[in-house]
Amino acid sequence: MTCQRIEELLSAYLEGELAAAERAAFEAHLAVCPGCAALANAMKDTMAAAASFPEVEPSPALFARLYAIPEEKRERRRPVRPIFEGLTRPALQPVYAALTAFIAVLTFVLFHPEGQGIRKKINVGLHRGIGTVEKLYADAGVIKGQVGALAGNVVKSFDALGLSRADEKKQ
Amino acid sequence: MDLDAIIRDCLDGSQDAWKTLVDAYARRIFSMAYQFCGSREEAEDRTQEVFLKLHGALPKYDFGKNFTAWFLTLAKNHLIDEYRRTKWEKTQRDDFDERVLAQAAGGGPEESLVAKEAQAVVWEGLNHLSADMRMVIILRDLQGKTYEELAEILRLPLGTVKSRVNRARVQLAKVLQERKGELA
Repeated sequence: MTCQRIEELLSAYLEGELAAAERAAFEAHLAVCPGCAALANAMKDTMAAAASFPEVEPSPALFARLYAIPEEKRERRRPVRPIFEGLTRPALQPVYAALTAFIAVLTFVLFHPEGQGIRKKINVGLHRGIGTVEKLYADAGVIKGQVGALAGNVVKSFDALGLSRADEKKQ
Repeated sequence: MDLDAIIRDCLDGSQDAWKTLVDAYARRIFSMAYQFCGSREEAEDRTQEVFLKLHGALPKYDFGKNFTAWFLTLAKNHLIDEYRRTKWEKTQRDDFDERVLAQAAGGGPEESLVAKEAQAVVWEGLNHLSADMRMVIILRDLQGKTYEELAEILRLPLGTVKSRVNRARVQLAKVLQERKGELA
């Protein structure tokens, strides 16, 4: 038996699991190999030491923390759940999508180097739009005046016609 | 103790059932954590995390299975994961002092001294083993689990478990030999 094989069989030997023939060969090797015999003794000592290892009692404070786990979990969930559930409603998904798109566009316009040009275009467009609207209002005022004048003339004409007819009837 | 009934009551939100479960397993898990981490404070934190995980995992427990083995697997995985995540911080174990030796082996004063010395070497030697090796020694030699129980907890074939235990013991025995050589 080699020293390597002895090392592999040490636990089985110390736990009495080797067959008689194997055990005899094992012990024959130990008798002539002080290194393996010393290792076997050391393993025997560590196993005995480990088996009699004292058990350390957990503190009462730890027990209290362990008992409190379900209640703590319930407490932790309570305030968070309604908010969380409210925010994860599927109905809010389009809102989040629109908000995300808006933020993306806004970020691009505000912080991207090309954003300045875009802002300028928006300003120009906005001012042009305002100018067009003002012009439309002004034109509308002129048309209104013209229509008013025309309407006045028409009324006057009708009045004149009406009066002349009434005069004819009287005669 | 009908464990299945206790677990069902826990799932129904019974505080008494949870307390029973804690009383039944806290010492075992804490001992395992303490022997693995080597620090009482850290062992208390790890034990609390293991029970937190247990509370979250209870709805997934398969009632046909061995609860103790399932729970110890959960604890073992957590301890090893946390060790690997933060092992750069782990350089020292608590001194093997009166706190650890509170219930040391009996016998005469001389025998007790030798036993304490060997225990101190085992305690220190655990730090020289990898997380997997350390765990098998704790489960097999410190906690006295059978090889079959170990195979169930580690989810490994029996032969693999036996050879892993043997390799861990050889490593630990060599640490003991070195220490004896240093002292001689």
